[in-house]
Amino acid sequence: MAKRALLTGITGQDGSYLAELLLGKGYEVHGIIRRASTFNTGRLDSIYADPHTEKARLHLHYGDLSDASALARLIGKIQPDEVYNLAAQSHVRVSFDSPEYTTDITATGAVRLLEAIRETGIRPRFYQASSSEMFGKVREIPQRETTPFYPRSPYACAKVYAYWVTVNYRESYGLHASNGILFNHESPRRGETFVTRKITRAVAHIQAGLQEKLYLGNLDAKRDWGYAKEYVQAMWLMLQQPEPDDYVIATGETRSVREFLAAAFGHVGLDWEQHVAVDERYYRPAEVDLLVGDASKAKQKLGWEARTRFQDLVGLMVDADVQLLKAHREGKIRVTC
Amino acid sequence: MRRAFITGITGQDGSYLTELLLDKGYEVHGIVRRTSALARSRLDHLYHDAAIYGHRLFLHYADLDDPTTLRRALLKAAPAEVYHLAGQSHVGLSFDIPESTCELTAMGTLRLLEMMRDLPQPARLFHPASSEVFGRPAAAPQAEATPFAPVNPYGCAKAFAAHMVRVYRATFGLFACNGIMYNHESPRRGENFVTRKICRGAAAIKLGLETGLALGDLEAQRDWGHARDYVRAMWLMLQGERPDDYVIATGQLHAVQDVVQVAFGAVQLDWRPYVRRDERFLRPAEPHNLVGNPVKARRQLGWEPTVSFEQMIQEMTGAELAGLSSLAGLPR
Repeated sequence: MAKRALLTGITGQDGSYLAELLLGKGYEVHGIIRRASTFNTGRLDSIYADPHTEKARLHLHYGDLSDASALARLIGKIQPDEVYNLAAQSHVRVSFDSPEYTTDITATGAVRLLEAIRETGIRPRFYQASSSEMFGKVREIPQRETTPFYPRSPYACAKVYAYWVTVNYRESYGLHASNGILFNHESPRRGETFVTRKITRAVAHIQAGLQEKLYLGNLDAKRDWGYAKEYVQAMWLMLQQPEPDDYVIATGETRSVREFLAAAFGHVGLDWEQHVAVDERYYRPAEVDLLVGDASKAKQKLGWEARTRFQDLVGLMVDADVQLLKAHREGKIRVTC
Repeated sequence: MRRAFITGITGQDGSYLTELLLDKGYEVHGIVRRTSALARSRLDHLYHDAAIYGHRLFLHYADLDDPTTLRRALLKAAPAEVYHLAGQSHVGLSFDIPESTCELTAMGTLRLLEMMRDLPQPARLFHPASSEVFGRPAAAPQAEATPFAPVNPYGCAKAFAAHMVRVYRATFGLFACNGIMYNHESPRRGENFVTRKICRGAAAIKLGLETGLALGDLEAQRDWGHARDYVRAMWLMLQGERPDDYVIATGQLHAVQDVVQVAFGAVQLDWRPYVRRDERFLRPAEPHNLVGNPVKARRQLGWEPTVSFEQMIQEMTGAELAGLSSLAGLPR
């Protein structure tokens, strides 16, 4: 029988890539989606089949990390072999505006899901999406699995909580539960309010003459940016190991927002300095200056390694946004709003 | 008159802190939850003092999961100092009710921080982080810079709250201090905490009310101090020039078995025939090596514990003996 996986956050960047990966491996994939008055499954359009067909292997269920009973009911019904907790209020800047909501979903949501697993007595393998933001005001460079956390935002505090509670359920109840400490990972499916996607979309619009200026926050922040499509493979690999563990997933290379701008504008022959202005409203109240991960444990134990490097990542994101804009303007894709 | 606002005022620490603040001339406001049984025994002596209650001590109904009421109480009291002592504070129980432990201890603290961020007149905040945030530390003793690595749902929630206090201090300039408090006991300790349970057991056996005492891990070690000493450290932190985090501890480890020996010794009994081990009281994951280094608190706050371990357990056992004697109508 096909293995069954349950994903929270399936409609997001990572969820959609992971769903594709698992379907490709023959899994039956179940995802939890929130009810919204607008469609929120755009990233799944390419893999979503009519549920009335017998062969449909992707199933979407209404639920929410804030709804403990729904979680327990779904886990009891689906009986998953693997659970991937990818859902979160995942935007760091927004977490300063809405810290309680961020905590309810990102921190309490994780313990609700673990409790639902414990309560049903089903023992799936569990993946928790931890974040490099947990390192915050970094205690060492590069950051590895043993680096102490120093969170600097409500989002990061919530992720640290979820990390420890995952470790705690592993140690206390013997659950096969692993944390992937993922450094920034981007793709053409990255949310439009994240800085990388904001830049690549703006490049497409500026090139097409539809936009003049791009306003950004701190250009000196340095991040370790990888390709989301590769990072979801690491998630799956963690749950195939005989023992659960925690892994840093990163490229090992750090670049500033400024370098990202130069690469993205340069990719279409534009000079970023002509088009970019700083708006302090986009500054975080407390910045995380430099993140760079050491993924040697993942390489050694999982055989995982980042392949798409910075220039290629920026190039593929710009190309995708240029194509997307073109398709929109030619009326080739339906715009849902 | 300086005004203080206390969450968790009905608890062990809340009641000692109230006494301390009243003694220093504060007006004290506390929030209490509505329960069908009045659970304020630790405040009874103040509540029934006509010169105090309604004049310098005020209790308001509110709850950490009721933000509107909490905000209203806070605005009305307009305190200079807020002591956030409320929380689901039982480690063993946090394995049974992890979600509500998170809701109260983690989310409740965050809600309070959010309210304090918006207060018209800034107030200072004390938050008691717990030594449980260190989990199974590799090095002993632990200090303020020791990384957090909690091993139970309670510790995870406290670590979250302490991190969040630091974020609000760094980001919004809030005068907020974490006291990383090691275990602190007293005759007012909750009855399901091990020290109180042992002292009560020894007293009950002495009076012939019980025949034995079942305990979990006798070798488990903790750094135990007296709650009255520890609430003084809370107050000292908020009198400082700059907000900071401080470890509050005695720096000495004692085993559960030491508590047993002192408590039974206080009632002139040999503990061995009475105490048995019960697996049910073992925790799924036991922290170890938890001993604090209070040197920063001593240097910067001038704080030091004044009650020894033996004195404390003797005081607790004596209080149990007196309490049980009067309950059972026995002559002391």
